[in-house]
Amino acid sequence: MSDRRFALMLMLPAAIFLAVFVAWPLVKFVADSFFEISPIAGGPREFVGFDNYAAAFASEAFQGASVRTILYTAIVVTAEFVLGLAVALLFTALGRRSNGFRTLFMYPLMIAPVVAGLLWRFLLIDNFGIVNQLLFEWGVIASPDQIQWLSDPSIALLSVAIPDIWLTTSFITLVLFAGLQNVPGDVVEAARIDGANFWRLLFSIIIPLLRPVIAVALIVRGIDAARAFDIILIQTDGGPQGSTTTLSLLIYRTMTRFGDPGLASAMGTVYLLAMLAVSIAAIALIWRPGGNAR
Amino acid sequence: MNPLETRGRTSRLILWVLLAFALVLYGFPFLYLLLTSFKTPLDAIAVPPSVFPEVWTLENYVSALSRAGVPAALVNSVVTAVISTVLSLVLAVPAAYAITRFRTPSGRVFIVAALVTRMVPTIAVGAPLIEVMRNLGLTDTSFGLALAHTTISLPLSIWLMASFFEAVPDELDEAAKVDGCSRLQALWRVVLPVVTGGLAVTAIFAFLASWNEFLFALLLTSVRAQTTPIVIANFQTQFGLDWAGMTALAAVYSVPVILLTLLLQRHIVAGLTLGAVKG
Repeated sequence: MSDRRFALMLMLPAAIFLAVFVAWPLVKFVADSFFEISPIAGGPREFVGFDNYAAAFASEAFQGASVRTILYTAIVVTAEFVLGLAVALLFTALGRRSNGFRTLFMYPLMIAPVVAGLLWRFLLIDNFGIVNQLLFEWGVIASPDQIQWLSDPSIALLSVAIPDIWLTTSFITLVLFAGLQNVPGDVVEAARIDGANFWRLLFSIIIPLLRPVIAVALIVRGIDAARAFDIILIQTDGGPQGSTTTLSLLIYRTMTRFGDPGLASAMGTVYLLAMLAVSIAAIALIWRPGGNAR
Repeated sequence: MNPLETRGRTSRLILWVLLAFALVLYGFPFLYLLLTSFKTPLDAIAVPPSVFPEVWTLENYVSALSRAGVPAALVNSVVTAVISTVLSLVLAVPAAYAITRFRTPSGRVFIVAALVTRMVPTIAVGAPLIEVMRNLGLTDTSFGLALAHTTISLPLSIWLMASFFEAVPDELDEAAKVDGCSRLQALWRVVLPVVTGGLAVTAIFAFLASWNEFLFALLLTSVRAQTTPIVIANFQTQFGLDWAGMTALAAVYSVPVILLTLLLQRHIVAGLTLGAVKG
């Protein structure tokens, strides 16, 4: 057997698995978007062309959910980048003796998103949430129910992002910390001798040098944040007044509760194509597949 | 010593204080969950709330763990995660080996396909999987759910294993073949023993992906095969959420995996950063 055939044989099981359980479902999902489907299993289906797409683009719910998905992703990624970089710099500045603490800092990564979402709902809840109570005791707010984190539609999208930020900032820290270990010493020394202060060093040297690492970390987190489902569902179920209904939630609800699988598939297909286009464009800019890592 | 390490004694002291503050802030949410799980159910939702329990009790653990469906869900979580982990490794190891050793065009296509899979919204795979599972007779079974979870962990496992194989020099396989091993024996007897650390990391990530997963479990299981995240989410009673019980079950579900990662921290840090750099 030639090497080429042997390689193919080794890849075949995984390829068949992905074809049956990822590619085929996706084909079915996209195909469904061209049909009007009865929500009852085995019910009638009728070909309607692009009608579902027209309905999706015309629906305010879909437009709103798209905007909220982008906003949510932007909030999560920005906050995680700023906090993650700050902590990574802190660990680097403190050197080897902070290694043990770096491990402790990693612990939320192992917690289920649904647990994190419930936990923060408990921490932020209106009447007996500990966060407002502590803010009140420290004199930051005037009464313990002043901030209605999850029931005020104007801030709810920000509040539901908090557990996601809490859960995965450690990931950005780990990746950036690894990158910081490779910053060449002579460049930093030269800049210090030239009298560069910390901010100058950060923006003119460290961030440009870390650019590839930063890009990868942000893409990975961006993809996950744009797909967030359980963490939001468990906190607000998309409310109040739809202010936290992102695309995942809207599609899930259109499919199960409103019983319109055709429309849900059309929305999902647009979502899927947008995700692929954005991530592939982002990856093409920084990384070539098939070659060695970076 | 890293060039970015601070040397001045005062600034180091300030940074240590900052770090301590950040760690307390970051650790508090889960600590509060643990503390709440030892409060009485009424104490847990008292207004105003207090940080420490007035009376320490194991009542919530007893009531949560004896609740109908909870022990079964814990068993289901373990069974599903173990099946999915084994399946991921069995499929990913040969594929990753072929991709790194033979560098054929099909291998390149394959690794890009695995990467693309990671960008697909879960709902777009999960919704049609309902019917696929029905056709296979796997609706509401741990095996069916494990198959679905493997769609998440397999691409990640292939990427991780590919980078571990890449670190093993090709000369090792060549030497094995000179000694009379077939290509398959070279992989099984010579290369795999070298990458056991990598196998362990990959297994942990596959296990965690299944252990913490929610949407597939919600779509594909109803009663028999329900996993613990779904049960935790369903801790509603007619009076609202059973917060005290929820914190106890959440602690039971999270503490073992947190301890596991603290124990194996070095490997996991390596896997996380590798996974990130690789996609």
